[in-house]
Amino acid sequence: MQPTSSMKEEFLKKWQMGLQIYRPLIDNTSVSERRKAIKLSADVAMASLRKGTTCWSRALIQKTATEDNFLVRQMLSGIKAETLINKKLPKVMCHRKIVRRSKMILRRRQSRSAIEEVAAKARKLIKKKTQGLRNVVPGGEFMSNDVLLIQETLDYIVSLQTQVNVMRSIVDAAEAGSER
Amino acid sequence: MDLSGRFGARSGDGVPFREAAALESLHIGGGEEFRQMVPPENAGGFAALLELPPTQAVELLHSSSSSASQATTLHSLGTLSFPSNPLLMERASRFSVIATDNQQNGNVSGETTTTSSVPSNEHIKTEPAETETCDQAAVEKQSNRCGKRKELDKKVKSSTKKKNKSSEENEKLPYVHVRARRGQATDSHSLAERARREKINARMKLLQELVPGCDKIQGTALVLDEIINHVQSLQRQVEMLSMRLASVNPRIDFNLDTILASENGSLMDGSFNGATMQLAWPLQVMETEQSYHHRQLQQPPSQQWPFDGLNQPVWGREENQDHGNDHNNLMVGSTSLHPNQVKMEL
Repeated sequence: MQPTSSMKEEFLKKWQMGLQIYRPLIDNTSVSERRKAIKLSADVAMASLRKGTTCWSRALIQKTATEDNFLVRQMLSGIKAETLINKKLPKVMCHRKIVRRSKMILRRRQSRSAIEEVAAKARKLIKKKTQGLRNVVPGGEFMSNDVLLIQETLDYIVSLQTQVNVMRSIVDAAEAGSER
Repeated sequence: MDLSGRFGARSGDGVPFREAAALESLHIGGGEEFRQMVPPENAGGFAALLELPPTQAVELLHSSSSSASQATTLHSLGTLSFPSNPLLMERASRFSVIATDNQQNGNVSGETTTTSSVPSNEHIKTEPAETETCDQAAVEKQSNRCGKRKELDKKVKSSTKKKNKSSEENEKLPYVHVRARRGQATDSHSLAERARREKINARMKLLQELVPGCDKIQGTALVLDEIINHVQSLQRQVEMLSMRLASVNPRIDFNLDTILASENGSLMDGSFNGATMQLAWPLQVMETEQSYHHRQLQQPPSQQWPFDGLNQPVWGREENQDHGNDHNNLMVGSTSLHPNQVKMEL
């Protein structure tokens, strides 16, 4: 599934709505602050396209809410703002570590055959990779099963691609315009 | 009949025939078709089998199983472990369906007509022979015929191997219908695991199509690596683009973007009217707006861009970018970006 033009359009509108919120603030001098503002509004716009259906969008909104609560509230126009901002992120990380440690203890007692070892190594490798994927995808740590993780990754990649396309075209236009 | 008595006794004792258990476990929550067929199938299937002479019944029951040793005596019924192969269930279901019509001869033929025509003919041929010999307790003959039929059945089954229903199909239904392949374990745990693995594999395929360069890679771990790299690169691109946009000439306005949106709406339709071009230039700034379609930017005359100079390169790039055109048309920087989130938060 490739990003569609309607998705791009929506993203652009929402992003601009977010940027509008920053506009009354005249005293922006620092490039880094501007960059942060741009990125945050882009992220929230991207996440709001999904309207809270996907896990990564909720996690992303909550992450940006920790940095700029006001922006998020304005951008989400109050429908889900309260629920999304105030919801606590589930603390699953702790449990998984405990489970992993207990599994390691159990594993030492088991006898291993050659074939089992190979399979176990392959499984370990894949687990490491999925853990890496969880680190990258927002909210990945809270996705309990792999099916959900891969689904979320799919959606996230598509949204990222729309975001990148739109931003790139705007930046190109802006730079082309500023050259003159 | 002794057989019926024995069956009745067994079922009365509540001995869980593995077939029944397998039936239940295979259909998590019960499917539409099968659940309706399960009770009559257990009753009807056994009833149909019961009407047949015991040896023939045993033969029919075990014709799909790989073990030949069980298919002989009534005593073996005690150790009768019905193969939990759902193919057998299907056959039994067909037995029940057809048993109502044709109680003696129709079972096997009815079952095999759906699979392939040739073996069914052979089955039909053997049936009259069976009915003739049904009263005989010739175990060897039965076992021979059983062996023959088993071969046929095996051929039939290998040609009509049932596949797992696709994961997409599973998701449409409220319950998961999974068929076990021949020779695979059929307890509920492995079935559920297999369904789960099929789902994961289907989605991994989608991911492979999405991420460029993943098609050629074999193996889940490398594909996952590629996916992670792709996601990270996209995220880095977003950061870079936002940095570039922030560092661009600060006269480029946020308002500008809103005009882009307004033009965007018309342009994304694919209709590149001249009207949209002319709209770009005498534009008015609107400070408080949520209506994207009527927003216009007012152009201070000193900064008016020459249209024509911009137009041609823009249209030239039309094929490459979706957004680039309209943006280039409208790129007139007049005011500056003013985000200052720190102050807003305080």
